[in-house]
Amino acid sequence: MALSREIYQAFEAVVGARNISEDIGICESYRAIPCQTSDHRGPFKQKTPLPQAVILPGSTKEVQGIVRLCNKYGIQFKASTTFWSVMGYIGSDYSVQLDMRRMRRIEIDPKNMYAVVEPYAIGAVVQAEAMKYGLNINIPGVGCSSSVAASTAGWVGFGPQTIFMGAATENMLAAEWVLPDGEVLRTGSLGAGSGWFCGDGPGPSTRAILRAKQGTAGSMGICTRVAVRLHPWPGPAYIPSRGMAPAYKANLPDNFKAYTLCFPSWDAYAEGLNLLHQAEILYLGHRQFTMFGRDIKTAMIKILNDPDGQLSDLEGYVNDPELKKANEDMKIDIQVIIAGMTPRDTEYKEKALDRVLEMVGGWKSEFMMDPEIKDWVLMYLLRMGHKNLNYVMCGGYEGNFGLSGNVFVSSSVMEEASALKKKWEDEHDYIAQVGGDSDMGSITIMGGGGSTGWEFFTHFDSYEKESVEGTAEFFNATQEWMNQKKLGLDMGKWNQSARRPDGYYFSQEEQDEMFSKLAQPLVAYYQYRVREAFNPNNLCGSYYRTLSKV
Amino acid sequence: MSLKDYRPMMERCSNCLGCKWIPFDKIKSQRFGENCPSVCYYNFNTYSARGRFQLAQTILDGDAEYTKKVTEVVHSCTSCGACDVSCKICRYNLEPLDHNIALKIDAVEKAKTLPVQETIIGNLKKEQTMIQGQKRIDRMNWAKGIKVKDILLEKAEVLFFPGCKYSYEDGLTEKARAMVFLLQKAGADIGVLGKADACCAGRAYQMGFEKEFEQRANANIEAVRKSGAQVIVTPCSDCYYAFKRLYAKLGLNVEVVHIVEYLDRLIANGKIQFVKPVQMTVTYHDPCHLGRQGEPYVAWEGGEKKIRNQIHTWDPPRPRYNGIYGVYDAPRNILKAIPGLRFVEMERIREYSWCCGAGGGCSETLPEFSSWTAAERISEAEATGADTLVTACPWCESNFAGAKNQNGNKIKIYDIFDLVRAAL
Ligand SMILES: Cc1cc2nc3c(=O)[nH]c(=O)nc-3n(C[C@H](O)[C@H](O)[C@H](O)COP(=O)(O)OP(=O)(O)OC[C@H]3O[C@@H](n4cnc5c(N)ncnc54)[C@H](O)[C@@H]3O)c2cc1C
Ligand code: SF4
Ligand code: SF4
Repeated sequence: MALSREIYQAFEAVVGARNISEDIGICESYRAIPCQTSDHRGPFKQKTPLPQAVILPGSTKEVQGIVRLCNKYGIQFKASTTFWSVMGYIGSDYSVQLDMRRMRRIEIDPKNMYAVVEPYAIGAVVQAEAMKYGLNINIPGVGCSSSVAASTAGWVGFGPQTIFMGAATENMLAAEWVLPDGEVLRTGSLGAGSGWFCGDGPGPSTRAILRAKQGTAGSMGICTRVAVRLHPWPGPAYIPSRGMAPAYKANLPDNFKAYTLCFPSWDAYAEGLNLLHQAEILYLGHRQFTMFGRDIKTAMIKILNDPDGQLSDLEGYVNDPELKKANEDMKIDIQVIIAGMTPRDTEYKEKALDRVLEMVGGWKSEFMMDPEIKDWVLMYLLRMGHKNLNYVMCGGYEGNFGLSGNVFVSSSVMEEASALKKKWEDEHDYIAQVGGDSDMGSITIMGGGGSTGWEFFTHFDSYEKESVEGTAEFFNATQEWMNQKKLGLDMGKWNQSARRPDGYYFSQEEQDEMFSKLAQPLVAYYQYRVREAFNPNNLCGSYYRTLSKV
Repeated sequence: MSLKDYRPMMERCSNCLGCKWIPFDKIKSQRFGENCPSVCYYNFNTYSARGRFQLAQTILDGDAEYTKKVTEVVHSCTSCGACDVSCKICRYNLEPLDHNIALKIDAVEKAKTLPVQETIIGNLKKEQTMIQGQKRIDRMNWAKGIKVKDILLEKAEVLFFPGCKYSYEDGLTEKARAMVFLLQKAGADIGVLGKADACCAGRAYQMGFEKEFEQRANANIEAVRKSGAQVIVTPCSDCYYAFKRLYAKLGLNVEVVHIVEYLDRLIANGKIQFVKPVQMTVTYHDPCHLGRQGEPYVAWEGGEKKIRNQIHTWDPPRPRYNGIYGVYDAPRNILKAIPGLRFVEMERIREYSWCCGAGGGCSETLPEFSSWTAAERISEAEATGADTLVTACPWCESNFAGAKNQNGNKIKIYDIFDLVRAAL
């Protein structure tokens, strides 16, 4: 059903003719095919629905105007900024897609150490602007192309720097929201006319219902401005670099140290990470490069560090005895960065790190201490600008065996999970054969430490139907194994309760069917009541999990 | 490759939209962080390289067609290749720029063109030039009054190929003569194609007019072959790209250098010496077709080979063209050799340079967009504190000059050769 002329013209009157389109080509290009981009709910071939129009608002007032019209005419809407993750795409036929790219202002308050950002201020540019003041921002694991506002207001937002800076939910200060019914709500101190410094008071604190821990993925309206905490950056006003594409390297002063810490066993790994949480010495911690796979990670690092490198160099490198040895050395590893605020601080952190290693029998990878590789790692992890490497090998990737929890739990089953994946790699040809373990994850998903988050990167060919479908089969087998181990739902399986495999949202009846079986159905019922209050016309889809009756 | 051959790339593009930004590692500010003029001006993602992949996919599927809007989207790409460089920071199996052009070619084959394009191409066919209103018969007028060999009549080592702009436009024809004079004075044995001189048609290719390009290219390759020239020197970056990459693919086997490379060599071996100081603060704009697209052509024939179940490789390994081996140092060496000149860099340089807006024929077909793109670059140049913006391509120069006049900017716009002359 196309929008009537009356409705289209009403939207056009809000944003201007230049900023709205219902052209079939424009609208088609705003559909996602989940297996082509990470959906974190499994690889599916079907496209998300076709929007009736794509609208680019330029201000809060325009967002409000659009949302009010959506309420008036019963049209669903969804905002997105990067459009990388499928969660930002609409999920019903009678919907409009909002592309937030015209809203991009950044204001930095260096004294109070926060930035007020609009949705299209992505991590890379907020970071670049903050660094001019000696400050930095938490960039989630999705990378610096993601919107700071979307990650802060809309999704989990944890990543390598969360150990030092906290995750999105912890960094969110005051915000301005256009609620699903079109009302503008200013949260925290902003709501009391006291500026942006606090998310929870003296004005209204709605963090728990508008975003909570996981984020509501655009189903509780649109955040138009949000203040986010900034954190110390003991480096230059921008990250100086050298080298040739794609292997740019950071030229940072000596107070920045990048190490790959290696452990003799998963028990030692867990204990090491636990001690690192307690020691509070890290600027960043992430198990990054195992994402390519246990058997090929050093080969991939070699390729990526060579401006002329090619994936066809892989087999040569994989058989190189030196690199094989390095892989073995780094079998159970994690990348960390120390950033000393003063020379004494650097010295202290180095010593503490060495002491942790000594206590658990760990060591630093020599291979990764090569100055060229070290500076590449610094650039990679501090800027988080190479996240599309997730897809480099096969064109498709999804996280499997994705969980967050205590490091002792995850590490105790890592080898078993790895063996299961390796079995699928060896017995079928759906997914890349990389040696099983391809775990990637942050040292913590909340400030200071505690819970870790991880997923096994599963590389498949998004172009080849058999590969896509085979990957889905493998994911099902993993869930069966996780059920046997009483590990709960894989991240992707949980995310499957937000959107149907065919790209559409779930109806309330379908949600009722699913969520009545939850261990705590009252949570979904509570959310239903919240949704009724904030979103009476139910215009924002099924990412806000609701149960209409208990 | 026809559009449908890009299908695997369309479906393996991961939607990351990194193609809208300069390589993230190089971002120093929000103001100058983006790279794609098309999506920056028109805003809808459809205009990005990713959008073009998806658009093409839906066209192949029959879900979308070449509406008026889609046709504009397809042709509003300056073929600058900035997306290509950014994509290849992480991806080894996608060719966004080649695909953008394949999409244009598909549109042209289906007669989905912009109205001005027909006039431009009509003129190319009839008068063998990209410059509207100019006649073939007047092409060699620029060389009147100078002593230069007609290379088809008299052997010469170096073929000077001025390109359409330097052949016809006021202010540039005089410069073309001065170039020949300077090169000769430095000892080069120069010839020109005389009656056989004609448009390189590189811009026709950038616009998706593949057949028209090939016709011209084959005629030019034949003329160069007959001339026996060992080196082709051109002051135009579009011509440089056409000869260096496109003609090489069609079989041209002669060294191709841009005049900045030739001058750099002459300066390095002392055949050109600067004596006059040039008291200017100068920043340099890397033309897309000299910089990131100016990499040497490497012949490749092969196909995809999967290893380790699903990892895509090319067999044999395929050239990556990620922009790093373009011509970047020669112009900078020249500027740095000029006494008194202070050289400053913009934020977006070398392989991740911002486009001038003239590419893909956009200066003629979508002038507002093109001029906006040039104005963006001028703002970036001004932000460095430079009083002068120099480039090494007549298309860039005239696009900057037009935008400057429109917006009343103070910065001076020159071709690098102007500063070379001023320092002699
Ligand atoms: C390859 C990949 C890796 C990832 N890795 C991680 C990871 O390590 N850690 C992690 O936390 N997440 C990860 N994610 C998920 C990721 O956090 C989100 O995709 C991202 O942080 C959101 O930012 P974005 O700019 O991509 O937002 P978008 O895709 O634009 O939006 C994300 C969600 O927020 C909503 N939204 C967008 N703008 C607004 C707004 N203004 N107001 C309210 N809601 C809004 C959208 O509707 C959507 O549902 C990953 C995603 C991908 C694709
Ligand atoms: S070639 Fe240039 S204008 Fe065209 S899509 Fe790529 S970056 Fe944009
Ligand atoms: S073309 Fe490349 S950079 Fe752009 S979205 Fe696709 S994979 Fe990402």
